[in-house]
Amino acid sequence: MSKVIDDNVQKIDVVVLGAGPAGVAAATIASEHGADVAIIDENISGGGQIYRAPPKEYETHDSFKSPESYEGDRQRNYLSNSKVKTYFNYRVWSISQELVVSTISANGLKSWRPKALILANGALERIIPFPGWTLPGVMGLAACTILLKSQFVLPGRSTVVAGCGPLLMSVAYAIVKAGGNVSAIVDLSSKSEWVRVFPKMLSRPDLLLQGMKWLWKLKNEGIKIYNGYTVTKSEKDNDRLAITIAPFNHSGVNTDPKFQKLVEGECLAIGHGLIPSTEITRLLKAKHKYDLLKGGWVPVIDDEFRTSIPNVFIAGDASGISGAFSAVHKGRIAGLSALRDLNMISLKESKHKINNERNLLNKTENFGQAAAYLMRSRPELIKTITAETIVCRCEDVFRAEIDETIVSGAVDMNQLKAWTRCGMGPCQGRTCADSIEAILTSVVGSRELAGQWTGRAPLRPIPIEQIIGDYSYSDIPIPESAPL
Amino acid sequence: MENYLNNKDDLRVAGNNVTRNSYVTVTIDGCEIQAPAGEILAVTLFVNGYRTLKYSPRIKEPRGFFCLMGSCQECVVLVDETITPACQKLVQEGIIVKTIKI
Amino acid sequence: MGCSTALHISRKKLKTVIIDSGALCREASGTNAGTLTLNMTRAALIPYAIKGWELWNSTEQWLYGDVGTISVNGLSLAFTEREEELLIKRAEARKAMGAPIEIVSSKKAQQLEPGLRQSVRSAAWCPKDGFTSAYLTGHAFRKVLNNEGVQIQEYFKVNKIDNENKYFLICNENGEFIKSKRIVLAGGVWLEYMLSLLNIFIPIKCLINQLIITERVEPVMKTVLSIANGLLSLKQFANGTVLIGGGWQGIGDTERGGVEAIPKNLVGNIRLACHTIPKLRFGRMARVWLGLEAETSDALPIIGNVPGFDDAYVIGSVHSGYTSGPYMGWLLSQFITGKEPDMPLFDPSRLLTQ
Repeated sequence: MSKVIDDNVQKIDVVVLGAGPAGVAAATIASEHGADVAIIDENISGGGQIYRAPPKEYETHDSFKSPESYEGDRQRNYLSNSKVKTYFNYRVWSISQELVVSTISANGLKSWRPKALILANGALERIIPFPGWTLPGVMGLAACTILLKSQFVLPGRSTVVAGCGPLLMSVAYAIVKAGGNVSAIVDLSSKSEWVRVFPKMLSRPDLLLQGMKWLWKLKNEGIKIYNGYTVTKSEKDNDRLAITIAPFNHSGVNTDPKFQKLVEGECLAIGHGLIPSTEITRLLKAKHKYDLLKGGWVPVIDDEFRTSIPNVFIAGDASGISGAFSAVHKGRIAGLSALRDLNMISLKESKHKINNERNLLNKTENFGQAAAYLMRSRPELIKTITAETIVCRCEDVFRAEIDETIVSGAVDMNQLKAWTRCGMGPCQGRTCADSIEAILTSVVGSRELAGQWTGRAPLRPIPIEQIIGDYSYSDIPIPESAPL
Repeated sequence: MENYLNNKDDLRVAGNNVTRNSYVTVTIDGCEIQAPAGEILAVTLFVNGYRTLKYSPRIKEPRGFFCLMGSCQECVVLVDETITPACQKLVQEGIIVKTIKI
Repeated sequence: MGCSTALHISRKKLKTVIIDSGALCREASGTNAGTLTLNMTRAALIPYAIKGWELWNSTEQWLYGDVGTISVNGLSLAFTEREEELLIKRAEARKAMGAPIEIVSSKKAQQLEPGLRQSVRSAAWCPKDGFTSAYLTGHAFRKVLNNEGVQIQEYFKVNKIDNENKYFLICNENGEFIKSKRIVLAGGVWLEYMLSLLNIFIPIKCLINQLIITERVEPVMKTVLSIANGLLSLKQFANGTVLIGGGWQGIGDTERGGVEAIPKNLVGNIRLACHTIPKLRFGRMARVWLGLEAETSDALPIIGNVPGFDDAYVIGSVHSGYTSGPYMGWLLSQFITGKEPDMPLFDPSRLLTQ
């Protein structure tokens, strides 16, 4: 089949990037009010990470389904019953200053020029490095969730679950429910941290009850829960991992060997919180600010989820970590703002509807904020990044090299990148940016001074075969020869 | 609680609650392996014991999947000669997969 | 260009300050392909490039560091009849200037480069090609400049140059200034702006050169490759990544820098690369960036006195200046200290408008 470069840039009212809860909400509300909308997602169906669908080839029986599976299916159905044009398995690789969205898929290249662009590209997981974090068998909490919830696969015969936030209990419970073994739960948060967020969690008694049910079940299975501990090392021990943990509190990691403990498992699922994904907003050169309780760097937005770039809106966790329920309302507000700016609804109607959504948002946000607090960046954690720990996985750059480079004069992220190659590999810095920002911040004083890596296209590595398509030599539009 | 594991060595949860209806045959590093249609290639590799998928550039550390969501690029393998993140590929009948040796 | 000039001048015992509006070696030197090439150098600049190539291959002696210089065969390729004619013409011109370039058959070209597409017709072979690492070079220059007492003034954005008595006052937007007897303008694409600060007007075009780097792949090539018309630059680094360049244009300017690639040019550049080394198609494009490059109206450098000034000099717009950079800086340092440069300079006054 001949692959063609679609030279035509398709004009459309709205493009929504990301078909998670925020994206689906934004796209459907815009479409319901008459906008011509395209939603683009690199996965095979909607749901984002939280509501990721299992393979359609599998049959899952109702007794096995979680509330999330039902909600995910509901949203997927809602989307497919709407007039929104869906483009799954399409990967966005660039967005121009004029907002032309360029994608690549098995069908080749395709671009849109929307009047309004709504970003709903979600969040990334933060994992602060420690010796041995690169060993096969060490995975993110989000990765573990995908295994369990959308593939029905256990990460190992025994798993150590570590990190922070509600995802910790969610993963541990899912493992146990699937018949697996959790060797230990290692929670950064002390019991008093949980007590501190309890009031906010009361706003969602259903979720709170669920969490308590999980905790009861885990305790009943005899699983040891370490509160106020962090993983400081992971070592291969035949086909298992020997994991060292140390006490952690507001003054930092206690590396005194006296207080260390050893746990082990076949694998380690670890995650230190969620970070809004800023790769697109940085590419577009939107203004950002650092907000600890929103997950870190977030784009600066107004009340109606407009970014500092005209006609670019943002919703969901990408606008600040607050969870799936908030995402839906944020998505609707962003969609309504876009409709307003495109003159497709009146000011009165937009104000009224946005107000409704905002009231609903305020109700759901509390729980999300509690979770965000538990998942916040903890600067003291960088102590686990020893001199010999690899920080940039793509380029194999050690902490010692980064420290040395800072001492020799690299005072901001971009300079550090130029001198160490951190962030120049295939992941474009998504995995290590937060850790390196934290390291640099510990020297220069603030995240604002350290800065962020400049956003660049392509947003993901692009298979060359897909870009070039089928062509002959004479197809290549070679510009004028260089001077003699 | 019912034990859903088919046997201790199979990490795939089964039992009465999940039915994997059809299977495909893929070749991994020369071995023919059966995998449920629709499974993510990174998962197929993992449950079949292919944990090391490539080696890191400078110090040649073994690496396997890490984020499983297409971000970290650690799980790249060769699928029919093309470099592909295994977590972004679903198994298909007849694909030839090789872990990366460089 | 500025760093090598500063280094050579400082070694001639003149107190030197190097000023950059940003960090050293981050502009053209930090973003180019690092190619050391004779095949792609202008014919008139071949003698300079040969000297430059020698300096790059002996950096231990003058830069006191290894900047990853690799010396390999360079091949410029022809896939069509027209390209063959072009190839012969360009090779002759460069050979006449002393470059060791020889036209070879398809068979020989494939021997030199087994990864090559078999339909290649012929090639211009230069055993003296290669490449170096742009980012290692910046690091090395900074270190040696520091060690030799050159004052480094970074993040100093010059917006005014006053001429008072026998001194230049180089001022920035914060009101700070540096006083100096002599001044060398080495600002690449910003030379037109810099010259205007001295009321001299020479139009300098700003090229926005696209560069693409792939993810690591298995070894697919072992030479530096280009095409007869000069519009491909292709090489594989020791770490396995492949760099694709050649001067395809993107969008940008001197104010905003490189902004974004033009999709058609991205596709064209990569197609050209894949046509040359077929195995590339199995890899992935990892990064794209845009480097700014200066070009004068006659595509030759400007090196010498700023017209009308005895103590102001300019150096730049060499095009493929990475190769001859170290040598050009040396020549200017000779000129500044009153000696006859080993090779002729390029008088900027030829380009004065009005």
